[in-house]
Amino acid sequence: MNMKFIVCVKQVPDTTEVKIDPETNTLIREGVPSVLNPFDQFALEEAIKIRQEGDEIIAISMGPPQAKKALLKCLALGADKAILLTDKVFAGADTWATSYTLVQCIKKIGAFSMIFCGLQAIDGDTAQVGPEIAAQLGIPQITYVESVEKLEGKKLTAKVQTDDGYKIVEVKLPVLITGITPSSFEPTNPPMINIMKANKKPFSTWDAEELGGNKHDYGLNGSLTEVIKVYSPPVRQQGVIIEEETAEASVQKLIELLSKDKVI
Amino acid sequence: MSIKFTEEQEMIRESVREFAQGKIAPIALQMEETKEIPRDVVRGMAELGLMTCTADEKYGGPGLDAVSAGVIAEELAKADCTGSTCVYYLVPASWGFLLNKYGTEEAKQEIFPKTVSGEWFLGIATTESDAGSDVGGTKTTIRPDGDEFVVNGEKMYISGVREAVKHGGGHVTIAHQTPERGTRGMTVFYLPLTVKGITPTYINDLGREGISCGGFSIDNVKIPKHYIIGEENKGFYILHEGYEYARALITVICASAGLKSLENGINYIQERKSFGKPLSQYQGINFKLAEHYTKLNMLRDWGYKALRTIDLEQEGKASRFETSKVVAMGKMFCSTWACDAINDVMQWQGAFGYSRECPDQAAWRAVRSFSLAEGSSEVMKMIVAREVLGKKQY
Repeated sequence: MNMKFIVCVKQVPDTTEVKIDPETNTLIREGVPSVLNPFDQFALEEAIKIRQEGDEIIAISMGPPQAKKALLKCLALGADKAILLTDKVFAGADTWATSYTLVQCIKKIGAFSMIFCGLQAIDGDTAQVGPEIAAQLGIPQITYVESVEKLEGKKLTAKVQTDDGYKIVEVKLPVLITGITPSSFEPTNPPMINIMKANKKPFSTWDAEELGGNKHDYGLNGSLTEVIKVYSPPVRQQGVIIEEETAEASVQKLIELLSKDKVI
Repeated sequence: MSIKFTEEQEMIRESVREFAQGKIAPIALQMEETKEIPRDVVRGMAELGLMTCTADEKYGGPGLDAVSAGVIAEELAKADCTGSTCVYYLVPASWGFLLNKYGTEEAKQEIFPKTVSGEWFLGIATTESDAGSDVGGTKTTIRPDGDEFVVNGEKMYISGVREAVKHGGGHVTIAHQTPERGTRGMTVFYLPLTVKGITPTYINDLGREGISCGGFSIDNVKIPKHYIIGEENKGFYILHEGYEYARALITVICASAGLKSLENGINYIQERKSFGKPLSQYQGINFKLAEHYTKLNMLRDWGYKALRTIDLEQEGKASRFETSKVVAMGKMFCSTWACDAINDVMQWQGAFGYSRECPDQAAWRAVRSFSLAEGSSEVMKMIVAREVLGKKQY
C-alpha cells in the first residue's frame, strides 16, 4: 500500500540568536538570511529515510511568498510536492491559528499516513504547532521521536527520547510525529542535480479562499494568545564549579562560599 | 545589486557554502602540509555534484550553466584559503564544458561518469616548456594511425598530474596535427595519463599546494579516435571556449578570495589598537580598505557578467568575440587586484600576516598564480586591444 507523508516546515532566520526590536516587540529579520528550519529538515529526512517506492512526500509551509525557498530546498532534498500557504489573512497567527491553517491544508490534501514535524522552530521555540495539528485532526501523536525504527503495514515503531534514556513506542497510523534531532544528525546538503530538478516538481500556492475553512480562525483573528512583550532573557552569571580533591574539602569550600555570600 | 541570481543558484550557494565551510575551511591550511586534498573531501564534492558540474544529466552531471558554476567557485574560494579545491573544481568544470559541447558520445559516456563521481580527474594540458599563452608555439604532435592517433611531445606546468596518474583520468590536450598549417592545423583531444608512454614529473608550486603541479612526456602514446574533441585541425579555436570558461571562473575566484581576506582584515583592524586607537581609524588603512573593497566588488560583478556572457553565447545571444573580450577584461586585473588587497591585509596584521598560520598568506600565493594560469594578464590585454581596435588596426 502506497503511503502519503506530509511534512510541515517553516522558513526561519539563519541564527539561533534572533534580536528583538524593543519598541515593536517583533523579531529583527533585516540582514539575516532565511533558511529551512533545521529541526524541520531532520523531520523531512526521517520521512525520506522510510519512504518506499510509490510513497509520496508532500512538504507544506505557511509563510510569506519568500518561504518558497524553504520548500524548494525540501523538493531538492527529496520531497515530491510542495504547497505554500500564503495570504495576508494568515498574518499575525499564533501557534493555534498556524496549526488551524496547516490543518485546513492537510484536510484538502486528503487521506495521509503520517505527518512529520520538527521539534520546534528556531525563531519562536514554541514547539506547539505539531501537537496542536494532531489535536485539531484528532489523531495520535508521538513527540521527541529520535528515529523512525520500523513502518509495517499500518503500524509505526519509533524510538522516543525521554529524560533518562529512550523508549520504543508503537502506534497505529495515521499519526503525527515531532522529531528531536539527535546530535549525530548531519543535515544533507542537496546535490546540484536535485537542486536543478526541484523547480520542475509540482509546487502549489494556496490562499485562504483556496483552503476554505472559517476566515475568522486564520491569522491574528484566530489566535488564542496575545503577545504582550518579547524580550531577551538577561544573561545568567557563570556558575562556580567546586572541584576539591575530596568530598569533605568540596563541602568545606561550598560552606565558605555560601557564608561569604551570606546565604547561610 | 547588479547581479540577480535565480532560486536554483541561491540554493546552490547555500548547499555549497554549508559543505565548504563545514568540510573544507577547517582543513584548508592542512592541505598545504599533506600536499593533497583528502579523498573524503573529493568524495563530498562529487556527491554534491561539483566535479565536472558542466556535464549533462545523461552523463551523471547536473549540467549547470556558467553563472551557477561561478556561484560554486565563489563559495569554494571563500572557504579554501589555499585555493586548492578551487583549482580541483574549476579545471574539470571548464574542460568538462568543452568535452560536453564538442566531445564524441563514446568519450562522454566513458569519461564523465568517472569524473562526476570524483574517481578520475579531468585536467587541461596545453602548456609546454617553450609554449604557454602562445599556444601556437606548441611542439607536441598528433598523427592518425589507422583507427587510432599517435601522440608525441611533452607538457609542463600542468595541474592535477599526480591526481590523474594516481586515481585515474586525463587531460584535455592540444597538439599539431598538420604543422605546416600553424594554428589551423591543431587538434584537441583527451589524453589519459594512465597509459603506456606517459612519464610524469612534478614541480613544487608556490601555492595551491593541495593539488599537484607537474608535467609529463608523451612517447608514442596511442589514443582511440573517439578521444578527439571537435573537428581535427580546428582545435585551436574550440580550445579558447574552455579557456574562457576557466578565465571567467578564475575572475570570480580571485574576487571571492580577495573579499574573504578583506573580511579577515576588517575584523583585525577594528580590534587591534595602535597608539591608542583601532587601526581602522587610520586613513592610511581605511582608504586602502575602501579602494580594495570597491575594486573587488567590481571584479566580482564583472566575473558574473563574463559568466553570463558565456551562457548567452550558448543561447546564440552573444558572439565568440564578445565573450572573449568580456572575459579577458575581468581576467586581466583579477589576480593583481586580489593580490594587492591580500598583501595589504597581511601588512595590517603585522608579523602574524607573514606567518604560515595566517590564511591570507596562503590566499596570496594561490591568487598570484592566476595572473599566469589559463592565459597571462598580458595576453588578456592583447585580446581586449584586438577586439577594440579590430584585427586590421591591431
